Amino acid sequence: MNLELSDEQRLLADTARAFVDRHADDADPWPAMRDTGWAGLLVPEEHGGSGAGMTEFVLVCEALGRGPVVSPLIPSVTAALALRWAGTPDLQDQWLPTLATGAFTGTVAVLEAGMRDEWSPAPMSGLGALTGTKVLVPWVPDVAVIVVVTSEGLRVVERSGAVRVHDHDPLCAEPHAALTFQQAPAERLGSTADSAVVLARVLDYNAVARLAYAIGAAERALELSVDHATNRHQFGRPIGTFQAVAHRCAEMRADVDACRYLAYRAAWALDHDADAAIAVTAAKSFANDAMRRVFLHAHQVHGAMGFATEHELHRYTRVAKSFELSLGGTTRHRDRLATEIGLGSRP
Amino acid sequence: MDFEFTEEEEAFRTELSDFLDAEVPDWWQGMFTEDERAMPFTRELCAKLADRGWLTMAWPPEHGGSGASVWKQAIVREEMWAREEPRGPQYMNLNYIGPLLMRFGTPEQHARFLPPMARGEVIWCQGFSEPDAGSDLASLITRAEDRGDHFIVNGQKIWTSYADSPADWCLLLVRSNPSAPKHRGISMLLLDMTTPGITVRPIDTMAGPHEFNEVFLDDVRVPRDCLLGGQDHGWDLVVAGLTFERTGIARYARAGRVIELLVDYANDAGLGDDPIVRDRLADLYTRYDAARLLNYRAISMQAKGEVPTVEASVARMHNTQLEQAVGHVGLEILGPTGQLRAGDEWAPLRGEIHRYWTRNIPSTLAGGSLEVQKNIVAQRGLGLPREP
Ligand SMILES: Cc1cc2nc3c(=O)[nH]c(=O)nc-3n(C[C@H](O)[C@H](O)[C@H](O)COP(=O)(O)OP(=O)(O)OC[C@H]3O[C@@H](n4cnc5c(N)ncnc54)[C@H](O)[C@@H]3O)c2cc1C
Repeated sequence: MNLELSDEQRLLADTARAFVDRHADDADPWPAMRDTGWAGLLVPEEHGGSGAGMTEFVLVCEALGRGPVVSPLIPSVTAALALRWAGTPDLQDQWLPTLATGAFTGTVAVLEAGMRDEWSPAPMSGLGALTGTKVLVPWVPDVAVIVVVTSEGLRVVERSGAVRVHDHDPLCAEPHAALTFQQAPAERLGSTADSAVVLARVLDYNAVARLAYAIGAAERALELSVDHATNRHQFGRPIGTFQAVAHRCAEMRADVDACRYLAYRAAWALDHDADAAIAVTAAKSFANDAMRRVFLHAHQVHGAMGFATEHELHRYTRVAKSFELSLGGTTRHRDRLATEIGLGSRP
Repeated sequence: MDFEFTEEEEAFRTELSDFLDAEVPDWWQGMFTEDERAMPFTRELCAKLADRGWLTMAWPPEHGGSGASVWKQAIVREEMWAREEPRGPQYMNLNYIGPLLMRFGTPEQHARFLPPMARGEVIWCQGFSEPDAGSDLASLITRAEDRGDHFIVNGQKIWTSYADSPADWCLLLVRSNPSAPKHRGISMLLLDMTTPGITVRPIDTMAGPHEFNEVFLDDVRVPRDCLLGGQDHGWDLVVAGLTFERTGIARYARAGRVIELLVDYANDAGLGDDPIVRDRLADLYTRYDAARLLNYRAISMQAKGEVPTVEASVARMHNTQLEQAVGHVGLEILGPTGQLRAGDEWAPLRGEIHRYWTRNIPSTLAGGSLEVQKNIVAQRGLGLPREP
């Protein structure tokens, strides 16, 4: 047992922090991000990636959330994971090297109208060519390849096969769109059964990456709150000298720390294939609620200023809420966890 | 990062756990029951642990330990706390009274006090709190007058756990210099509890007897060789000791065990599919998981030789509130019969949840209140300005 980062991991986290300091305000940080090699962190070396682990990816995502740096990194890496685990050798050769360098980006289309969350069965049929509409698909404008979730498993569709019908204006800053497929030619990613297993893993990885990003945002919100509590004076003293304010900050610290170590442990479990389902679901369900608490406190400490969009707090609030609403709400994850810890009917 | 114990550590856990399963009797429910067998049992168990080299395994070899890693120590704490700490009061000797003696004691004090602790033969209690010195411990007024080769102590301690066990010795905090600023006039004394002038009065609690006591000190004579650390420098020892203490208890381990009991209970009662019960228990589990990981973070820092003051406070915030939540949700799941106590044949889970809820009512107070932990995190951790 050792919860300290290794020297290499610390270096990676520092590099990512420095990147965020430099590029947080870039209109498009992707060209700079391509040079970092992060898009290939989870792609094996034989396909042009660096074959690092989820822990490394989590450290990068956490730093990016501090910006927040808006980029296609998470959806693209998620698409690469699906191809890596379920793609035929041809599909892997076709896509993994370019996704790993970031020359192309990918995304994953999961949700359709009427789906409760990403874990619900998708109505779109995967037999033959794909027809139907996916909503809230991340980062569409210059995407090259789309992994599509269907009732018969995962499918791969090239950009030309999809028609963007609507740009969403979601809570988070990343562009999202609704995509319509009309008899789109699609390639199969694994058998139906394999794909269900792969999809579950892909969603787990995606949840942990997004959690890490939200943790970066929450850490920034805490820093802003501490700054504000130190500098804002009322009744002749810094508001941080009022315990009602200071204790909210202390609670934020305690919650952000808990989320962080739950996320690191989940990443570690994914890397080591050790009870990953329980680790991911515990992290997601704890963090859903913890993020609410953290941002309630952050806004309360900031006063009216936090509600004004000229202050940066709202950007982090949106990241956190978008995380909470994605990849399963608290109730869903607690139900999954309840089964994992042994609750159920007696046989 | 590594979120696994090594094979060797896991093997040690199994060995210890098998030993405890065999040695800890069915009736054992912790120290604070009316059961007369409790205290003698803890003494016997400690002696057996000492025989196996497990009692002071965390101590350095020069003091009779085997310098076990912080992780093995964590395993011991988890296995003990999960079983309601069958070492009884002696866990304090091992976790911080012994280490304080090693760090601040003279060679004579080492030779005199450490070996009986290592053999599991001596009960110590902690005489810090006073009626007017709780969270503001440094305002304590129990007076020790310097009489050359000895001190004369007058005053009163309160909430002293285990003093009526009876305790053999007391780690006593006194005001040795009333004219110095409040943190600079305090000393730590090693008080033989058989000294004339000491009166122990048990205070009954919601959790039953023996939880704590008042200790009255009237012209109690303490020889100078029982001064620990520098005269008037007792506060340094308090600070060091409290840090040992905060990570010295694996509170989450008992909470985890109680959650397991509740899962089994719910399944047996046909509640395993009840969405609300599932939701509540899963919530507790995530909080348990978070508390455990935050303890592990503090221990990882100790492994590197760092002192995790703020991190220990963060862990404690999670641990103590977890304990209270587990008690509340547990009783809610049991329903009306949850209020029945151990000994009542209709008490579900032998009254265990009732007891757990009760004894954790003050868990956010003992050893530094929740608010005090938050002050530490806010001021020392986040650098927020102090209150005026
Ligand atoms: C089960 C149990 C066992 C104990 N065992 C021992 C023992 O063996 N030896 C021993 O010496 N002591 C022992 N104690 C005493 C314990 O250390 C004190 O209870 C603790 O330090 C709090 O002091 P208090 O109870 O006087 O509460 P107070 O300090 O009076 O606090 C009351 C309330 O005021 C709040 N408060 C106080 N100061 C502040 C502040 N600055 N900011 C915000 N809020 C504040 C507290 O958080 C709390 O909510 C034990 C206590 C318990 C409950």
